[in-house]
Amino acid sequence: MTRTAINESRAGEAEERATLAGYKRLVARLPVTMRPSLTQQINAWESLFPYERNRLAAFLRGLDSFQQPALDSLVRPLLALEEKMGVARWTFSQTGDTMENASQLARSEHYAEWRREVQRIFEAIDSAGRDKAEPHALPMRLVLILLPKSLPVAPLAEWKPWDPRGQIFHIAGDAGSLSKLLVDGAPGMPGIGSLFNSASSGDSSALWLIDADVRQGEIAGQPAYPDACCLDYALLKGFRDEFLAQVNTVPKNIEATDQTLAAMRRQDWDKWLPAELKGQPRLRNFVIELFLSGNGALIFSNAFVEWAASEALRRARPRALVARFGLRSKPKPFTGIAIFENQQRISALPDVDDPEGSAIDALILARYIWLAAARYPEAGQTLCLCVSEYRNAACIIAPQGKGPAWTPDRPVTPEEVQAWIMGQLSS
Amino acid sequence: MDVTRRDVMKAAAALLVDQWAASRLSAAASERRSNRKVIVVACGGMRREDSFAEGGFENIPRLNSELLPQAAFFPFVRNSGVTSHYNTISSILTGNWQRVDDWGKTAPASPTLFEFLRKRMGLAQNQAWLISSNKALTSRIGASSVRDFGPAYGANVIFPKQLLINAVVHAAAQGRAVHSADRSSVQPEIEAMLNRDNYDGLGWSVSGENSSLDTLTLGAIQQAIDELVRTNAPVTGDEFTFLVSAEVMRRFAPSLLTITFSDMEVAHFGSYSLHLGGIRTVDRLVHELWAQVQAIPAYNGKTTMFVLPEFGRDLDGSTTNGFFNHRQNSDSTRVTWMMCLGDAVRKAQILENPIEHTDLCPTIARLFEIKNLDLPGKPLPGLWI
Repeated sequence: MTRTAINESRAGEAEERATLAGYKRLVARLPVTMRPSLTQQINAWESLFPYERNRLAAFLRGLDSFQQPALDSLVRPLLALEEKMGVARWTFSQTGDTMENASQLARSEHYAEWRREVQRIFEAIDSAGRDKAEPHALPMRLVLILLPKSLPVAPLAEWKPWDPRGQIFHIAGDAGSLSKLLVDGAPGMPGIGSLFNSASSGDSSALWLIDADVRQGEIAGQPAYPDACCLDYALLKGFRDEFLAQVNTVPKNIEATDQTLAAMRRQDWDKWLPAELKGQPRLRNFVIELFLSGNGALIFSNAFVEWAASEALRRARPRALVARFGLRSKPKPFTGIAIFENQQRISALPDVDDPEGSAIDALILARYIWLAAARYPEAGQTLCLCVSEYRNAACIIAPQGKGPAWTPDRPVTPEEVQAWIMGQLSS
Repeated sequence: MDVTRRDVMKAAAALLVDQWAASRLSAAASERRSNRKVIVVACGGMRREDSFAEGGFENIPRLNSELLPQAAFFPFVRNSGVTSHYNTISSILTGNWQRVDDWGKTAPASPTLFEFLRKRMGLAQNQAWLISSNKALTSRIGASSVRDFGPAYGANVIFPKQLLINAVVHAAAQGRAVHSADRSSVQPEIEAMLNRDNYDGLGWSVSGENSSLDTLTLGAIQQAIDELVRTNAPVTGDEFTFLVSAEVMRRFAPSLLTITFSDMEVAHFGSYSLHLGGIRTVDRLVHELWAQVQAIPAYNGKTTMFVLPEFGRDLDGSTTNGFFNHRQNSDSTRVTWMMCLGDAVRKAQILENPIEHTDLCPTIARLFEIKNLDLPGKPLPGLWI
């Protein structure tokens, strides 16, 4: 690196530090109970995805636009509520979300009212920070959910409806070829792997590939997509085992738990990380936060896939997300009562697959991924395709008026599906 | 469950209760007994849609087809408090919404039913029990922090499931696995737990008393555990909780027995199929518990049993990740059902008017003719009280 480049880099870093310090001063204008989450994000700036950075910056721009009298008027009811709740007497962290914070808030008899107030203030500030320019057309997105052949899911017509716009269709030929076609593409038709890599999309978190178990076969063929955010539950095994062992040292005490979890955030995990994650600090932090937030991500592969996909949708708003479920083992004798423990470590019995139970789990969790995507404004421009390889059938949800003209009685070839979806994504 | 394993677990439960009784013979002799019996069964978090609703009935065949026709059934029961386990159970037991530490660091802030019963009726400690599968509870749930009440009037609180969990986890921590052909590798762990000076470290507590085991009982328990670990069937914590509860009923016939089940809480880890399995286990165990009530003379004809989930679970599509959790402020999480069976039921009927968890405490107080309690709830309709 040349001296000039080094100087420019230093200047950039100094500018960023100044910006973040300014952000913190802005957050200090807010009532105490609104500060932890925002401060935590500012402190973790390096770990934020582009979408999160933009959103946080826009919110703080909105906050900055409030003159003090207007802000005082906006937050007055919340300040009064905090007084009633006795927040000043709590052990309340202002620098980050903690279990202790959450527990104190949830135990307050004013909790519901507090949530409403925070929501009201947040919306007012967020609205002030939003870009007032004419909204440009949002690009089309894809959520691709794969239920592999190993999962004997119920016939699609019996599934709990995902969305009124959902269309069921049968696949002519091998449904298993669809994922590769969509990710890798075909001659003359690029797949999402090249369409949404960072060079093409300008966003290093535009493409996510989340898998329960790569041993089921690669979702995408070669070449792989080094720019994509790739997470695989099976490949994370060493990391998961060590992480779980440390989580299990947490005592039955909220303050001590917060301390342990904070230490785990700071810990150097490189020794246990798979090679794929080593050079990606942001993705590594994503996984740590995912594991710390529970929801079974450390325990069951399908819970990992669902929760990772939901968090990726919330935090990164990717252009394309592929989530593939898999099999879990049956709980072994005695491990069913200590489910938070490492089954392989507790029991020397060989793992036995539970296809029926895994299929029930995967089906509801697949629906949860769509419901997570449907919460955000981007859902209006999102295609969701869920493929059951076992049933050789799929369900597609397309934006209003943009669905394909496929009917349940005419099987559709994987190539037709690919062509239609890529056409939509490229348009 | 296979017969052999069940017998073994039964024997283990009996021996544990034997041991408890041996150390408290004098207290038992001086007790005053109430003729009326009440059992409260709280069953973790389950949504109405997975239980008493179209599509959920298949998970509760016995509750729905065999017990409902004899029950006063309340289809709309609201938990307006903190929807965590410790706060919910202590709210049910005190009739006041509790807002204490979620992990049971502090005792309930108002007197529990156990304390009201024991103080007002002069009942002995073995007449009030809480037997729980739930690891979120602690022994502090058995008595409040109120000065005029407190542990002197508290319940016996025991956590049978915790014994198994701790043994298994301890084995794992020592690098010992439970082997396929010989599950006895867990046996020394369970025995070590039983050999400790006090159950409290295990999550077991019999109101703060020292509970070391005599050699004779210990030998017998070791034999039972030896049999238990050699069976190959899966072990559920709720099953063991049920067996210990049944044994307590046979030996002491407590006036007030509270049981909490928690197998369905596997939902927190994201397995819906195992969560539904936990609901089906509760369906079976509640049915068996009611059969026990009919079979034990001290209970037959004079028992009222209340069965209710602690709360539901969050809505599909919620930001709290649906069925995994129970912290959303929605009807899916707050509104469940309650079934009342037995002695106090005027007639089998469905009472559609909404009620609250805190209505249960004044109702039970009335059943025991305890008056002038300053409680916010109202006694339930449709019962002889």
